[in-house]
Amino acid sequence: MAEHIDEPQSGEQPREPERPAESGEQPREPERPAESGSTSPDEGQAPVPEEMAAEEAAVAGGEEPRIGVYICHCGGNIADVIDVEQVAEEAAKLPGVVSAKTNMFMCSDPGQQAIADDIAELGVNRVVVAACSPRLHETTFRGVLERAGINPYLYEHANIREQVSWSHGDPEQARDKATALVRAAVAKAGGLTALEPVRIPAEGAVVIVGGGVAGLRAAGDLARTGLNVTLVEKELVLGGRAAVLDKLFPYEEAAADVITRLADEVLEDTRITLHTGTEVKNVDGYVGAFTLTLRQRPEGVTLAADPDRVARDVAGLGWRYEPFRGYGPASAFDAATPGGDDAADTAASAGAVPAAGETPAGGDEPGAGEPAGDESAGTITVKAGAIVVATGYEHYVPPKGEYGYGRLPQVVTLVDFIKWLSEQPEGGTPTFNDKPVRAVAFVHCVGSRQVDGVHKPGPSGHINEYCSRVCCTATLQSVVDLKTRFPRVAAYELFQDIRAYGRGHEEYYERANKAGAVFLRWDGAQPPKVAKTKGDDFPVTVSCIDGLTWGEEVEMGVDMVVLAVGMTPADIGGLGSSLKIPTGADGFLQEVHPKLRPVELSVTGVLVAGACQAPKDVTESCASASAAAVKALGLLATGHVQLAPFVAHVEAEECLGHGHCVAECPYPGAIAMQDYPDGQQRAVVNPALCSGCGACVAVCPTKAIDLNGWSLEAYESMVDALLASGGEVAR
Amino acid sequence: MSVSPTPDGKILILSTISCADPAADAVGQAHLHHAANTYVIRVPSPVLFPDQFYYDCFEKGFAGIIVMSCGHECPYQGAFERLTKRIDRVKLGLKERGMDPGLLRLTAICTVCTKAYVKEIEDMNARILAAEQAQAETATAAVGGDAA
Ligand SMILES: Cc1cc2nc3c(=O)[nH]c(=O)nc-3n(C[C@H](O)[C@H](O)[C@H](O)COP(=O)(O)OP(=O)(O)OC[C@H]3O[C@@H](n4cnc5c(N)ncnc54)[C@H](O)[C@@H]3O)c2cc1C
Ligand code: SF4
Ligand code: SF4
Repeated sequence: MAEHIDEPQSGEQPREPERPAESGEQPREPERPAESGSTSPDEGQAPVPEEMAAEEAAVAGGEEPRIGVYICHCGGNIADVIDVEQVAEEAAKLPGVVSAKTNMFMCSDPGQQAIADDIAELGVNRVVVAACSPRLHETTFRGVLERAGINPYLYEHANIREQVSWSHGDPEQARDKATALVRAAVAKAGGLTALEPVRIPAEGAVVIVGGGVAGLRAAGDLARTGLNVTLVEKELVLGGRAAVLDKLFPYEEAAADVITRLADEVLEDTRITLHTGTEVKNVDGYVGAFTLTLRQRPEGVTLAADPDRVARDVAGLGWRYEPFRGYGPASAFDAATPGGDDAADTAASAGAVPAAGETPAGGDEPGAGEPAGDESAGTITVKAGAIVVATGYEHYVPPKGEYGYGRLPQVVTLVDFIKWLSEQPEGGTPTFNDKPVRAVAFVHCVGSRQVDGVHKPGPSGHINEYCSRVCCTATLQSVVDLKTRFPRVAAYELFQDIRAYGRGHEEYYERANKAGAVFLRWDGAQPPKVAKTKGDDFPVTVSCIDGLTWGEEVEMGVDMVVLAVGMTPADIGGLGSSLKIPTGADGFLQEVHPKLRPVELSVTGVLVAGACQAPKDVTESCASASAAAVKALGLLATGHVQLAPFVAHVEAEECLGHGHCVAECPYPGAIAMQDYPDGQQRAVVNPALCSGCGACVAVCPTKAIDLNGWSLEAYESMVDALLASGGEVAR
Repeated sequence: MSVSPTPDGKILILSTISCADPAADAVGQAHLHHAANTYVIRVPSPVLFPDQFYYDCFEKGFAGIIVMSCGHECPYQGAFERLTKRIDRVKLGLKERGMDPGLLRLTAICTVCTKAYVKEIEDMNARILAAEQAQAETATAAVGGDAA
């Protein structure tokens, strides 16, 4: 091995990397650490501060591997199929193995003790357990190593229950396969080095983007845990889309009450800083140390975290709920026209008070007094350990002509209809545009479940194939409301499927049915048609091929057509461009894993809440917001973030400075070229930003970069071990 | 459950920790017995393997490789797209080497895709059997040719 190479010089600009020669694909420009592109540790950007690098470095290693192998019977779950004694016998012959034992239940106290004893008495320094799935007990056994005084990452697991004894009936084949898997695990264990989790000091603060029900719920939950919370809302009012609703299914609570309760909680919690009329322009940094640049419109309001706030600001600003608009200060409802980005550059925020941990740019005093035309006016900088994205959704806006929308005044969206109905006086006949309303047709799935060839792509360039989930129940709820208050008005529901999926949703269908609503079912490829009626009693005619009457064409005259518009993803602005948060094919934000990590986004420390992830009702939005709040607390509670050590690391001696890894890495700032004292540039990984994907490993021509814990060399040795003789599959 | 004929060759399965490995567990939990010539290695993302890794695996003796990825559910940005390109490239390389490119297969397996998991193995075994048969026939023909 080459001689020791000194640490890189900090504070130098990363070099433009060369293109990978190996790759046949078009390499992309490496993403720079957002904003500065600097590699200076003290700027909080990539690459690694030295103390972090030291922690990241593999700590042990070097010593001769003394491997202990432990094979579990799992009662009879494994041993009834696999001759575990034979597997242990084979394992004992492998190089480096100093102990090979079986145990009835490895996860039991005696099983764990057997490992601890071997560590103490035989000097075992690498452990392999062959048992059930690592998902169940990998952490258990790492814990045994830690308690016994050796590094927990000097551990490898072989899954011989789910993937062998439960998957193969033939005992001989199963035994041979288990033997091969143990051989591979031993091969990997021999090359393991000790690792330390990456520890990053963390800001005890969370920024929540979006002040709908999800953002409000998350803010309230988080503030109660003692973390500092900043809530950023782009509109001048809080409440999001739920504020344009009247009563909420399934329990018919007024949207006004739910939003007021959530918003009051936020306003009264003086640990929360609130910025309305504000958007995120840029995000730098990584989990534990994000820096967000916010831009506030002149009409926006800032309430700083301040114990005296209730008296000084909340009352003073006249916060209230305005039906179908939201919860905001008096100025939000009195304001003439909302400003835009340009306005933000030229004026300061009304009523703004600087918040703890926040720096209003352009002077000590933010807001009032900023000189007009000052570029930095309205710009706020916030530091946070984690970010919760709760940006919600937009209602689908039908293009002009879809079901007559925009052409026939009688065609309205469900959102418009909800407001209209709430404004109708009790009794008599409701009126629309001064005309009596005797019949209403409700068309489901408008802007949702679109069919290629039938629907034209929207502004996103593609059709909305997904189901918006809430519109069926919301439509049924409106029909029930209409029929309860005005029983003589005829209601037609034109649906594809009734997806009343949640608790208490199906009841709306039953009630609508009992109240006399007429249901007609159309097929996705043949949506209903809406046309102006000439000289007839009813101004509009709706026709539909009805599946419930075996394909009969049904026509009905109506006074109103209500389009059950679905949800479309909201634009998350600067958050998306800075953090490169992935979206699914439907355009909603995509979590790391729908089942295993449902509120985490691929950028560590960035969590997702509410309907920006997928169409959700208020119950589901609040549930995911509370989950995201707990995740954020889990990350930040101890004052530092501990990340798994499975990130890339560069062997400086091997790195010739090609920079292919930098070009290949999809994570901004995770890896950059840095000058070393010997004049050579080498790649340096920032473990806080590295995802551990390994994309860089595949393109390094000198194999200088590898993944801690999952090295390419280890995989190669496993392949060799799997193919080695002994334990051949018997046929 | 009946198990289809198993070829001599071994299959390497590179299974992603987030998706395909839980599926392999679910297959076991459901006791969906399948051929035992399959060797599963867990991997955060198969994007870490360079082209050469696949060639080496075949060279060293694996008869087939199934890369069981997370597909578009991959937790790592852009990894699946990179992986797809790499596998396409290696397939071309295999063809150039006179091998059946179908012996390397990239597939997306989610945590509950138990039937798809077993089917992938059956399909790969059918391919390996066909390749083994073709090889045997060539060998016989060669021997016959020598004899003649
Ligand atoms: C027609 C219809 C009827 C419905 N009826 C019901 C019902 O009766 N019961 C029920 O439970 N659910 C109902 N829903 C669903 C309900 O509206 C949603 O579940 C809820 O609004 C989701 O809340 P949210 O906070 O996730 O998103 P939103 O309500 O969309 O709030 C998101 C907030 O984030 C803000 N924001 C967006 N982008 C940014 C940005 N870049 N920066 C800063 N802020 C930003 C927005 O201005 C908004 O205030 C209905 C939905 C529809 C379409
Ligand atoms: S919830 Fe109902 S109306 Fe809405 S898209 Fe789904 S099926 Fe259509
Ligand atoms: S492992 Fe992935 S995120 Fe980390 S440096 Fe390599 S390519 Fe970048």
